[in-house]
Amino acid sequence: MGFTLVAPERPEEACEILASAAPGQVAVLAGGTDLLLDLDSGRSHPDRVLSLRRLPWRSLQWNGPTLTIGSTLPLSEIEVDPVVRARIPGLWDAIHGVGSLQLRHRATLGGNLGRASPTSDLIPMLLALDASVEIVGVQGIRSVPVDEFVLASRSTALRVGELIASISIPEARPSAYVWQRVRPSNDISQVGVAVARASRAPFWRVALGGVTPRPVRLPEAERELRAERPLTPEVVRAAEAAATHAPFATDKRATETYRRQLVGVLVRRAIAMVSAPLDRPVGWA
Amino acid sequence: MIRTDLPAKVSGETLFGMDLGEPGMLWGALVLSPVAHGRLRGLGFAEARAMPGVEAVVGPEETDRLLAGHTGDPERPVFPRDVVAYRGQPLAAVAARTLAQARAAARAVRCEIDPLPIVPDIESVFPEWPGSGAGEHPSVIAHVRAAHGDLEAEFRAAEFVQSETYRTNGVAQVALEPHACLARVEAGRWLVRTSTQSPFSAREDISSILGVAEESVVVEGTWVGGGFGGKAGASVEPYALLLAASTGRPVKLALNYAEEFLIGRSTLPSVVHLESAVRGGRVTGRRARLLLDTGASLPGRDFATGYAIGFLLGPYRVDAFEVEGYAVRTNKPPFGPHRAPFAPQCAFMADSHMDGVARRLGVDPVAFRLVHAWAPGDRTPLGQVVGPFGMIECLQKAGALLATWRKEIPYGGGFGLGVGCGFWSTNAQAGGEAVVRLTPTELVIEQGEREIGSGSVVRGLPAVLERVLHVPAEVVRVSYSDTASAPFDSGVFGSRTVAGLGGAVEKAARGLSAELARRLGSTGVAHLSVDGGGLFATATGSRRPVEELLTPQEIGAGGLRVAGKHYGATGAIDDARVSAGSFYAYTDFTAAAHLALVHVDRETGAVKVLRYAAFHDAGVVIDPPTFRAQVEGGVVMGLGSSLTEETLWSPEGRLLNPSLLDYRIPTLGEVPPIEVHAVPGHLGAGPFGAKGLGEPPIIPVPAAVANAVADATGVRVYEMPLSAERVARALKLLPEGGEER
Repeated sequence: MGFTLVAPERPEEACEILASAAPGQVAVLAGGTDLLLDLDSGRSHPDRVLSLRRLPWRSLQWNGPTLTIGSTLPLSEIEVDPVVRARIPGLWDAIHGVGSLQLRHRATLGGNLGRASPTSDLIPMLLALDASVEIVGVQGIRSVPVDEFVLASRSTALRVGELIASISIPEARPSAYVWQRVRPSNDISQVGVAVARASRAPFWRVALGGVTPRPVRLPEAERELRAERPLTPEVVRAAEAAATHAPFATDKRATETYRRQLVGVLVRRAIAMVSAPLDRPVGWA
Repeated sequence: MIRTDLPAKVSGETLFGMDLGEPGMLWGALVLSPVAHGRLRGLGFAEARAMPGVEAVVGPEETDRLLAGHTGDPERPVFPRDVVAYRGQPLAAVAARTLAQARAAARAVRCEIDPLPIVPDIESVFPEWPGSGAGEHPSVIAHVRAAHGDLEAEFRAAEFVQSETYRTNGVAQVALEPHACLARVEAGRWLVRTSTQSPFSAREDISSILGVAEESVVVEGTWVGGGFGGKAGASVEPYALLLAASTGRPVKLALNYAEEFLIGRSTLPSVVHLESAVRGGRVTGRRARLLLDTGASLPGRDFATGYAIGFLLGPYRVDAFEVEGYAVRTNKPPFGPHRAPFAPQCAFMADSHMDGVARRLGVDPVAFRLVHAWAPGDRTPLGQVVGPFGMIECLQKAGALLATWRKEIPYGGGFGLGVGCGFWSTNAQAGGEAVVRLTPTELVIEQGEREIGSGSVVRGLPAVLERVLHVPAEVVRVSYSDTASAPFDSGVFGSRTVAGLGGAVEKAARGLSAELARRLGSTGVAHLSVDGGGLFATATGSRRPVEELLTPQEIGAGGLRVAGKHYGATGAIDDARVSAGSFYAYTDFTAAAHLALVHVDRETGAVKVLRYAAFHDAGVVIDPPTFRAQVEGGVVMGLGSSLTEETLWSPEGRLLNPSLLDYRIPTLGEVPPIEVHAVPGHLGAGPFGAKGLGEPPIIPVPAAVANAVADATGVRVYEMPLSAERVARALKLLPEGGEER
């Protein structure tokens, strides 16, 4: 796997390198936790690897209600930020559950979005937070909602010569991300459920991971949750809607049947965690 | 620092088989069969041979030329000539200048194979129990049967019969270092440095497979990055040696992790039916029927069925019994020994069954097992007399701790406590020899094994010597060499290293002690001590520097050498009880009872082990820190096979999860606090009464966890591992029917 590593300091330079290359010639390296597997196995064999580590994107900024996270900030640095944890607990849940601490020292939010893995634990939470992706490219700057950014498994709305600069979350929301894995530590979720409550109606967002080809919002479940503080029957209906409508399939991690059982349980628990943040279980799931 | 191997391992200086390298070396790669069963029409090497860096491509014909004049075991050809029996079977091997070139060339070899129908699993051969007459079935490679007493009468007289079917799935060893070796062929000598649990049996295997004289094969063990049974005997060495013979250069051959999962010789699935006649609060009759998937193992080479089947009856007395088992040949890779081969699975089934009978009777499951547990002097169902054996004490202690823990957990709420029992037989009859060499300043143990991680070689052997001669650890050293110069030993397997090879060290040390006493003018024993950097020998009042006790010739030859041999005895079973196949007698009965506290999520089926305790009858504990580490390691490994580890196979015979991502061993996040207790009182046949401990700690784990899950939920799970999905199914959380996992 011979390649040249390039690490430009300016975003324009980085975009230019991408724009002038043939497809597959340049691989983008953010944290590398996913890319390196492809390089190692030969699934990807670029001439050049474009490292983003020198770009000025390792930032975390609050601007009024909006949180902007630089695309190359390691997940572990988001995880240790006490304000993020207190104000957007679901984002902390999702990040904290990714791989191991060693992996989170390398992995980045931008990398996770850019690789668009169908098993991402972060994309469901970003969907529930109505996050958007700020993109820079040779044509300029644009912003795309995460829901429109992730097209399919391993496929994004990035055009040639474009990179993810940052991810913006419009407001801090009471939120939770709960998951189930065959092995709790360092595994891929069989099902992941992200729930967040917005400050204005419609209040509730429910998003799912563990589904193919990409994480999705679940409008059927969201529609059942009208009140800012839903009562049990509403929550039960939402959980049932999730179990009925989630686009699950069977794979080597779980059968479809089991995923449907899980999603109902996890949706109910996630809503409970958002509704009663002080009662959040600690150290479980 | 008693574990003298650890600093270099922690700092990364230790060279494992995977790390071997030398100038001018080539890299090897294997061509693996892409189908699980087929008729081999031909192999196309032209394209691979023309690729950059490729120095040799060796298939069956090249092997014939390289081995002209030699006749290997016809049942174990290096490469198949006619029929491919499993996906991943090596068909040819490539040597090239770089690893990438070798692997690319291996991929470029054309395999022309006409697919044949495959036998993917047990159920496709025997959807139901085939009865006693299936020994001649073409898929059966071994049939064992033993019985004693009037079983039909016991079943007729029973108050009730508990009848259950269990299933187990395949588990892989997951040594962090895959199989790796570096081979060279020089002047008719076949030399290989390799990561092995048993240099001498690797030598024997290489000699038998290649058909070359054993004296011409030299195996040098490297430090081993974990074995767990997968590195006993030869594996990659014959291929590497052929490539070295073909190129005249050293060749390194190392499996990658996917290959390690596929052909590292893992344990395969089983279906077991257990039936008990219960009367008067006792199991009076027991029937056990085993169907074991032995993959593409060769007829007559199945060791597991006859060995494991005794464990299906548990360490329990029974008036009448019948056990019967078939080894079923499928198109999976051949079955291999995973730490305590198949005993944890048997203990899971036998002890889940006993626990279930106790619950049905409404009696305490631990008390119920105490009613049945073997005491020393009892006979096993196969008629062997049970020797010193602490099952009863282990169970009593586990039961007492269970009662304490019971008070500390909320009633209900998804918490549960369970006990699992296991017994094992130290393979102490496998022989070993060692030499103890005394110099004026140190004692050196010359022996033929390498440390595989447990500490049995690097710490267990010195601990024996220290006890005999009363010397501190600082002056004892273990030396390593190859099969051409080291004393013979059977291997680091069968929990025998301390009991077997340690026995040889003990005898050598006692011989040395007697010789030193003689030189001191005594007829008794001598001890050694350290003073001012030199060693002193003492016997009945006389004390002299060792330097003065050795002859100039001895000092010139590196010291005084005393050899010891240990070839242990085995017990005998009652052959009259055996009507088919081979069963095995046990040596040195070893007992363990484990206690698990679990929480079961009653909506998802997820099981979390919260606390754990292990009680082991290990005879005399030679080295307490190593004992503790060994039990903890076994428990952690057992938790993996209890909850998350299983190999998944497609109907086409493809291994679906050959990676550490999808085959899930526990991480530290899954490991609960573990209490480790030695239960003394029953001396083993090893040095000072030690018993083997390599395998026993894994055996009771799945049973303890499964019984705790049953306690938490009131529901029995009949298949291991107890994945959350299986538990959810047992809890009837999922709709009936539909696909299962």
